Amino acid sequence: MARWGMVIDLDKCTGCQACTVACKEENNVPYGSPRENRQRTEIYWNKVIAVSRGEYPSVNIEMIPMPCMHCDNPPCVQVCPAKATFIREDGIVVQNFRRCIGCKYCIVACPYGVRNFNYKEQAEEKYHRPDPPPDRSVIGPWPFPTRTHGVVEKCTFCFHRIDAGLKENKTIGTEVVPACVESCPAKARFFGDLDDPESIVSQQVATRGSFTLKEGKGTHPKVHYLPK
Amino acid sequence: MASDFVTIEGKSKNYRAAVIVFGILALIGLICFALSYVFGHQLFGSSNTIPWGMPIVLAIYLIGLSAGSLILSSLTYVFGKEEFRPIARMAVLLAIVLIFGAMISIAVDLGRPEKFWRLFMFFYLNNMTSMFAINGILYGGYFVISLVYMGIILANQKQASRFMGILAVCWAVLVHMGTGAIFGFVAARETWFSPIKPLEFLSAALASGLALLIVVTLLTLKLSGRSINKGMIASLANMLRMFIILLFILIVVDKLTHLYEPARDATIFMLAGEYAWIFWVLQIGLAVVLPLAILFHAKLNKTIKWITVASVSVVIGIFFERYYLVIPGSAYPLHFYPGKIEGVYGAVGTFQIMPAEMGLSLGILALLALLFLLALRYLEALPPKPMESPQPTAASPAPSASATQTTG
Amino acid sequence: MLPDNNSENSPAQSSEEKQSDGLVISRRTFLNASAFAAATITASYLLKKPEIALASSADEPPYGVVTDKWVATSCLNCPTRCATRVRIVYDKAVHIGGNPLSRVSEGENCPRSHIGLQVLYNPDRIKSPLKRTNPQKGKGIDPGWTALSWEQALNEVSNRLKALRDRNQAHKLLLLYGLNTISNEDLINRFAAAYGTPNAISREGLENEADKAGQWMADGNYTTSAYDLEHTNYILSFGASIIESQKPLARNLRMWGKLRRERPNRAKIVVIDPRYSVTAAKADQWLPINPGTDAALALAIAHVIISEELYDKSFIQNWTTGFAEYRKLVLGSHSPEKIALVTGIKADTIYRIAREFAQTRPAIAWRGRGATCWPNGSYASYAIFCLNALVGSIDVPGGVIYQEYPKYKEMPAITDDSIAREGRTQTSLDLRRKDKFIAAGVVTNQAADSILTDNPYPIDMAIGFHSNFNMSAPNASRWDKAMAKIPYYIHVAPAITEMAEFADIVLPASTFMEDWGYDHCPPGSGFYELKLKQPVVKSVHNIKPTGDIIFDLAKRMGGSVAQSFENIGNNAEGFVKYRTSTIMYWDNLLQKGVWAGTNYKYYKYYQLFNTPSKKFEFYSGNMEAALKEAGKWTGDRTACLPHYEDTKFLGDKTAYPLILTSYHPLLDVDDGNQNYPWAQEIFMVMHGYGWTNFVEINAKTAGSMGIKDGVMVWVESPVSKIKARARVFQGIHPQVVAIAQGQGHTSCGRWAKGIGINPNDITGVDYDYISGQSALFNTRVKIYKA
Ligand SMILES: Nc1nc2c(c(=O)[nH]1)N[C@H]1C(S)=C(S)[C@@H](COP(=O)(O)OP(=O)(O)OC[C@H]3O[C@@H](n4cnc5c(=O)[nH]c(N)nc54)[C@H](O)[C@@H]3O)O[C@H]1N2
Ligand SMILES: Nc1nc2c(c(=O)[nH]1)N[C@H]1C(S)=C(S)[C@@H](COP(=O)(O)OP(=O)(O)OC[C@H]3O[C@@H](n4cnc5c(=O)[nH]c(N)nc54)[C@H](O)[C@@H]3O)O[C@H]1N2
Ligand code: SF4
Ligand code: SF4
Ligand code: SF4
Ligand code: SF4
Ligand code: SF4
Ligand SMILES: [Mo]
Repeated sequence: MARWGMVIDLDKCTGCQACTVACKEENNVPYGSPRENRQRTEIYWNKVIAVSRGEYPSVNIEMIPMPCMHCDNPPCVQVCPAKATFIREDGIVVQNFRRCIGCKYCIVACPYGVRNFNYKEQAEEKYHRPDPPPDRSVIGPWPFPTRTHGVVEKCTFCFHRIDAGLKENKTIGTEVVPACVESCPAKARFFGDLDDPESIVSQQVATRGSFTLKEGKGTHPKVHYLPK
Repeated sequence: MASDFVTIEGKSKNYRAAVIVFGILALIGLICFALSYVFGHQLFGSSNTIPWGMPIVLAIYLIGLSAGSLILSSLTYVFGKEEFRPIARMAVLLAIVLIFGAMISIAVDLGRPEKFWRLFMFFYLNNMTSMFAINGILYGGYFVISLVYMGIILANQKQASRFMGILAVCWAVLVHMGTGAIFGFVAARETWFSPIKPLEFLSAALASGLALLIVVTLLTLKLSGRSINKGMIASLANMLRMFIILLFILIVVDKLTHLYEPARDATIFMLAGEYAWIFWVLQIGLAVVLPLAILFHAKLNKTIKWITVASVSVVIGIFFERYYLVIPGSAYPLHFYPGKIEGVYGAVGTFQIMPAEMGLSLGILALLALLFLLALRYLEALPPKPMESPQPTAASPAPSASATQTTG
Repeated sequence: MLPDNNSENSPAQSSEEKQSDGLVISRRTFLNASAFAAATITASYLLKKPEIALASSADEPPYGVVTDKWVATSCLNCPTRCATRVRIVYDKAVHIGGNPLSRVSEGENCPRSHIGLQVLYNPDRIKSPLKRTNPQKGKGIDPGWTALSWEQALNEVSNRLKALRDRNQAHKLLLLYGLNTISNEDLINRFAAAYGTPNAISREGLENEADKAGQWMADGNYTTSAYDLEHTNYILSFGASIIESQKPLARNLRMWGKLRRERPNRAKIVVIDPRYSVTAAKADQWLPINPGTDAALALAIAHVIISEELYDKSFIQNWTTGFAEYRKLVLGSHSPEKIALVTGIKADTIYRIAREFAQTRPAIAWRGRGATCWPNGSYASYAIFCLNALVGSIDVPGGVIYQEYPKYKEMPAITDDSIAREGRTQTSLDLRRKDKFIAAGVVTNQAADSILTDNPYPIDMAIGFHSNFNMSAPNASRWDKAMAKIPYYIHVAPAITEMAEFADIVLPASTFMEDWGYDHCPPGSGFYELKLKQPVVKSVHNIKPTGDIIFDLAKRMGGSVAQSFENIGNNAEGFVKYRTSTIMYWDNLLQKGVWAGTNYKYYKYYQLFNTPSKKFEFYSGNMEAALKEAGKWTGDRTACLPHYEDTKFLGDKTAYPLILTSYHPLLDVDDGNQNYPWAQEIFMVMHGYGWTNFVEINAKTAGSMGIKDGVMVWVESPVSKIKARARVFQGIHPQVVAIAQGQGHTSCGRWAKGIGINPNDITGVDYDYISGQSALFNTRVKIYKA
């Protein structure tokens, strides 16, 4: 069984946020509004944060794209009472809207702030894609084109793509990648099997001091970063 | 020796007015809930930074009060302290009403309250590593146990009530420690993550439960025209003093351990940030300093009036302790990456006071008051009025037909 | 929880008929029996109107049949015009991805490519032609739109056009245009020529004219430069936001990844910008420069390179002229020590970057609008461009290269008549190449003043194609007055923007997602690439492609105008087919959407230089000739050398101590509209906020004025003042205030209106008088708490 992971090369990354937009497009993630932005009730499965250090003129701002880290040891799964978020055998931490009772415990417990609550019923036009994806027959009812308010959602590592790709005997990581990886113009994102030493992600992780976020928390994220 | 218990008549103007007012408030709460169910939690002040709001504050607060007053009932039923018997039934009744309120609060805070049942699919659909799932067992069990306990007490089963009392008290302790664990076991939030959170919750429960019991006892006895046993109240106040000190010690230890840790900026924010006044004035001021000052004052601690003030202060102060824990406690941004995170992801969370949420919270409190009033009307929870039963004789026929009495 | 809103999209709409026309690559997925059964059950459960889906008639595909196709087209959310592929499901565009056949951006796009979906499905689009009922025009005045049919609208417009022309006043027609497809630009210009007006005014006077003029002085090519990013080892950016805006953006983004970590040697990038841009953040070094002093810095760098003999001697010897004079100027008065005082960049830093630049070859000195949109911006551009020549980075791998363009089929000459000929020879409204603007191609912002002063003549009628100068031109309120003054204005665009509010007739043009067009990139790749635009879906609104509108108007005009539009395809689609017929078979083009040219050939020195000497000129012969022609030649030879004069600012330094700058953040969609939630919600990535822009102030400066982060402040210039939220920021020069472009709309729709501020409300009017380039960054301001 593969252990899917992602590598984001911060030296190649341009902070362009194509990943953020492409994820919204792919996964039908609703958009927000000024008020929701300030209050942080907007939904992002991927976000790019800016982290600054130093003072003029020695200022340094890094832009860190953040999908769900798909922790090997995910606190969100540990705290979810309803088994609505769980870790698959291939290491993807998924979220089942149908089981989710909306207790928000997982939001509290996730050290990376990647989980989002649906604060409102999204109007139909908020979803740019009102149809189920055509390949639904192959991949089951994922990803939901719509959801109700009151449930939590987050990045799924685009497992609908992965699963469909595997069925079609495609190579994951080259032929089939998550939407954000596909649309990253700088090719700063890589996806593949961390357990396979030949995979592109394993190779990238080995190139230079890769790190994960908040290593001290013992969550063992499967999203690795390469420094600038 | 046993004191007699009666129901209240429920015919006084005050009683009716109270029922009506609480009824209306509860109805407003219901409407607010319906609105939030339809329009979603956008009507609440919470966000992805501060995920939990007033209902959760209320829930853990009510659980605390409940567990506290249940534990106090044990003084009589388990430890046989007769001086507290007159209020023992009320304590159990209160505990039941409050845990019910806590469960409602949790239910209405769920994004999908219609899936509330999923919390109670023990082991089967639940993930038993979740403190929520464990607490599902604890709260559910607690509710059932207290109901049985109440039933046994009402039926005057001495032996059984002793047994149930022990069970209920142990369970109440667990309930409260479990609630503390919801917060204490979350490693992602520095200010919460602590092994003593369960104990802190327990001591807060004892203090606030007792304080509320004092207030409710005084209020009920006074309003229903019964006499107040000064000595009993004074000894309750004595106990309250102890609990407050215990709570204070735990708060200090908790804050110190968090301050000692290198990753202390969240704690510093809690103690000196923009919301710190809630901690210092409302939590420490009202829950610790003011009540201790009163209760250690040689003269004031003897007067019912000042004991009431101290108790009310504790009840409010501990409410803000909960508020402070849940809301400002999660406001401090998580550090995803070393440095200053710009913009919304690095900003201290804001929590808006939203009408629906407040209406809902008040509605829950009103509903509980209503339930309590109705329970007093239909269950024999009160000691009899002085003129009805001046001596501790059992089953002397009451002049008033509407009041039946039993011992227990 | 389950998909429940496909009722509106009954599969009946799926486009079977489109299959046969060969426009699209279609794939039909028939579900297997069990899945079909399941789908039917789910469908009946889900659909609000199950009858519709289940009662499929014979020619409707049964439920469960999915038409899924990809249409190749291209983006126009900025001038890069990237090739895209759009996925259509149930006749709805659901996904926009790159086209792997494109070599310009290697199949990658910028985030705004996806926003094409929201451009297409923008709910605030114009749904039919509109006519104004309120004769009073002005900002915020309700035009009182009433809908009318295309027939009525085009008739009215063409009658008016005809009448003006028949009065022999063809030159009083003004055509304004912003970002259009190349094909629509070709049609607009052809229409202007056939009609007989010299007044086809593009937006280019707001963007890169000084940049182009600088290159023209040096090598005779009036163009921006292409940079061979793929092979370069060192980039010195003078005010070019390489990964936020610089054209061609998607290619820059792609190449950034490449030159960082896809080659054995990682290129070094140094960014000179008073503002810590995303590009600066991602670069290796940021050098905050005193605004407007880039020319001085370039000359100081040249000073080091020349004095230390680090320049490419063979290139200088064989392919340049004027080096001695340039050398004298540079060595004479541009020592790093001296220039450090001008630019605020330390002398050692200048030495260091000069040496690095000269020794890490191939290296590029990149001039962006930050360095050139200034009075004397042409000279700044010239000075920076010369650095490339110094280190031999002209037409070499990894240096400055020369863009090639697709060879479209030539159009027949227009049918001329005396009206057209006379009209065209009139002085152009923007006074280009007349006394004021010696070498200008277009002076966009001058048009407003000319209209207001009736100089050289009053304008009777105007048509705006995809332009929004009431937002985008400095001191924008002049455009409000000018547009209100024009007796009859027709706006051709998909949405009601600030400029559209002044229209008498609004003609709803298709968006680029529904348009026919051919396009190519601005300089960047070197090799050429043709991109097609074709409608990806049938529009639900009553709209027309811009090309069809022009063809239709021309036909209705009759006579020579109509004749000029004969035999070139007859409509937008036909025109594109006609023009591309020399390049690619139509069916093939429809399928692939892209035609990439042959590999770029370097070292074409014998044909590159369009100068009197046919060499690269450090002393500009072209400039000397232009000055002489304009009668402005004084014999001062510095006027033909790259040089620096003290920067001119608008406003008094003591009253207005700070300098206002503006920039294009990446999510600023370059179509005059910002009504796109996906762009709005992540607008200010560096600041972590969406749905706004800020007044960005240096932390120390703000501190000294007692301004705290997030408070409201007034920004006041000699022109006007605006109120906005302050952003106290470490990443900005202490004397500079930055406001991002793209917000401050008072029109455009629900997600744009009332959000943020427009820097052009307070930017003053000034020019680089050589090229007619608007100076955008030299307005002084003061700030105080609101
Ligand atoms: N996202 C986005 N991309 C676009 C567009 C868009 O609207 N949005 N428009 C496209 C168009 S039409 C154009 S013309 C290009 C423009 O692309 P660029 O030429 O990159 O222009 P700007 O984005 O305006 O960036 C100008 C930069 O110059 C800096 N600057 C200001 N003053 C000075 C100075 O005195 N010296 C130096 N060295 N720097 C200075 C500013 O801080 C800013 O960072 O972008 C294209 N790409
Ligand atoms: N202060 C300051 N001012 C600047 C700049 C700056 O950096 N600072 N940058 C300058 C630059 S580089 C430029 S290029 C100019 C840009 O200035 P403009 O050329 O005016 O461009 P936009 O503001 O993008 O206006 C585009 C118009 O086209 C319409 N439109 C959108 N899509 C379509 C379509 O598909 N078809 C048709 N027919 N119409 C469409 C829109 O509704 C809008 O009215 O601004 C300049 N102004
Ligand atoms: S990043 Fe958060 S949501 Fe994702 S697996 Fe880890 S804990 Fe769960
Ligand atoms: S909100 Fe949903 S996913 Fe999160 S812990 Fe609760 S039930 Fe699980
Ligand atoms: S992997 Fe898929 S779901 Fe996750 S951020 Fe990328 S596009 Fe979104
Ligand atoms: S799309 Fe790629 S380059 Fe752009 S922000 Fe995301 S990871 Fe970085
Ligand atoms: S660079 Fe410009 S043309 Fe290319 S995808 Fe981005 S917005 Fe569209
Ligand atoms: Mo531009």
